[in-house]
Amino acid sequence: MIVDEAMEAANSFWPEAHCDPQKMAALAKVMRQNGGFENYGVPFCMTVEAEAMGAVVDLGGAHVEPHVTYSPLHSSGEADRLTSIDLTQGRPHCVLEAIRMLKQENDGVPTIGNVTGPVSVAGTLVDMTALLKEMRKSPETCVHLLERITHELIRYARAQIEAGADVLCISEPSGTGEILGARHFQTYALPYINQILDAVEAPVKIVHICGRLHSIYGLLDQIHCDVFSFDAMVQPEEIRPYLGSKAVMGNISTHALGTMQPEWVAALTKTALKNGVDIVSPACGLPVTAPFQNIQAMVQTVQTYKRTGS
Amino acid sequence: MDTSKEGLLKELSRCVLEMEDDTVADVARMYASQGYDPVDGILLGLVDGMNRAATLYDEEEYFIPEMLICSSAMYNGLEVLRPLLPQESEKQPCKIIIGVVQGDTHDIGKNLVKIMLESAGYTLVDLGRDVPADRFVSAVKEENAQVVAMSTLMSTSMDYMRQVIEALTSAGLRSQVKVIVGGAPISPAFAERIGADGYSSSATEAVKLVARLVG
Repeated sequence: MIVDEAMEAANSFWPEAHCDPQKMAALAKVMRQNGGFENYGVPFCMTVEAEAMGAVVDLGGAHVEPHVTYSPLHSSGEADRLTSIDLTQGRPHCVLEAIRMLKQENDGVPTIGNVTGPVSVAGTLVDMTALLKEMRKSPETCVHLLERITHELIRYARAQIEAGADVLCISEPSGTGEILGARHFQTYALPYINQILDAVEAPVKIVHICGRLHSIYGLLDQIHCDVFSFDAMVQPEEIRPYLGSKAVMGNISTHALGTMQPEWVAALTKTALKNGVDIVSPACGLPVTAPFQNIQAMVQTVQTYKRTGS
Repeated sequence: MDTSKEGLLKELSRCVLEMEDDTVADVARMYASQGYDPVDGILLGLVDGMNRAATLYDEEEYFIPEMLICSSAMYNGLEVLRPLLPQESEKQPCKIIIGVVQGDTHDIGKNLVKIMLESAGYTLVDLGRDVPADRFVSAVKEENAQVVAMSTLMSTSMDYMRQVIEALTSAGLRSQVKVIVGGAPISPAFAERIGADGYSSSATEAVKLVARLVG
């Protein structure tokens, strides 16, 4: 989650910062120093894993996030053609280096290592449309593909923690209840997210799932995470009863952070806190055009609320 | 197999609804070999099945994987029946430009909207995904389109929708097209703020929206 003003302040810009650990760490740092984020988070996109496994990525520009432009597999049946994530070079290495640099700051600020969820990675390695059809027509090959990907993601996530990340955050923009429905979520998303969570020892584990969630409310408590994060269209007070002892994280509208006045962001933040959000964060990423002012308004509202209870 | 027209229409519809995307082509060939009307086969058979699938989708009985297989069944049937359509029945339908805006490659929602609009008889020009604003503008010009439909799954790409509308305005084309938007992070309020003519939350609603806007 990086904004324009951060690139200016750190003199470190997209797309270069996606491939250069120093620039990546500098951007993460400035989001805290100038923006007020209470953590460091890397990387800034969801294409590192897929690229390392064979997808072609367009790194975008100063205002366009990296995105996959070519999927290496035609079908989930070709899973064995995937390459293993090489942790010693390319962008996975860059992310690990950036985490090491942030750790060396030794300033008590937690570093979040971000990992893309298995279904989302699968949906960029195989064309998503083909993958979704095969979830019904060819369950065995889909399972094999997801096992293969999960194995790689576990290696990558463990390396992030070893490099010094204090928090593991798995995000699923594609493996959602809204897209898959409860039955496929239970078969293809939940078990593999849990495999990663179970295999990686991290002090704090966050899972973020995009979109509307009511179709999978009943399954959320089965996710083995400490913190559950969700999108702006989900009401915290509605979802809370389904989350058991998990901390509730979210869900300040990404769009509001990008376009609205700071007073509005503050009001949204206060509402989220009143409605039971334990950890306030942007709902679903940060638009690159969001002003620092708005992030600061969000953070300051939280700090005031913690102090005064309103 | 019941080879009456009624029986085969029902079977075409059932194949689409129940995701039998291989069987459907055989049924369509059987229907055609009996000399039955291809227009009925498409509308009362294939499209009927797709509409029933859409109802299940609205009821959250079906989700995206099911809808995708239903639609490939419909297209497999169409491939058999379309060549049999009489030429003169090709009317000049309303043309719709559709695409996923720049920065985003998630195109499943867009594809579903396209499928439902095509089933409803519109002509779609699909610009694909990660489409820059000027591509939308040149497509409207070249195709003389009446509707522009944009989608994105990524909240970080939403603002490109505004840019497309601005680009249409500066090209002097805004008044000739209706602009509709959709996608997970999009809300009706957002659509209004960027000056779109309409928003729909699902592929099935998009059909009603377009019908309302272009009559």
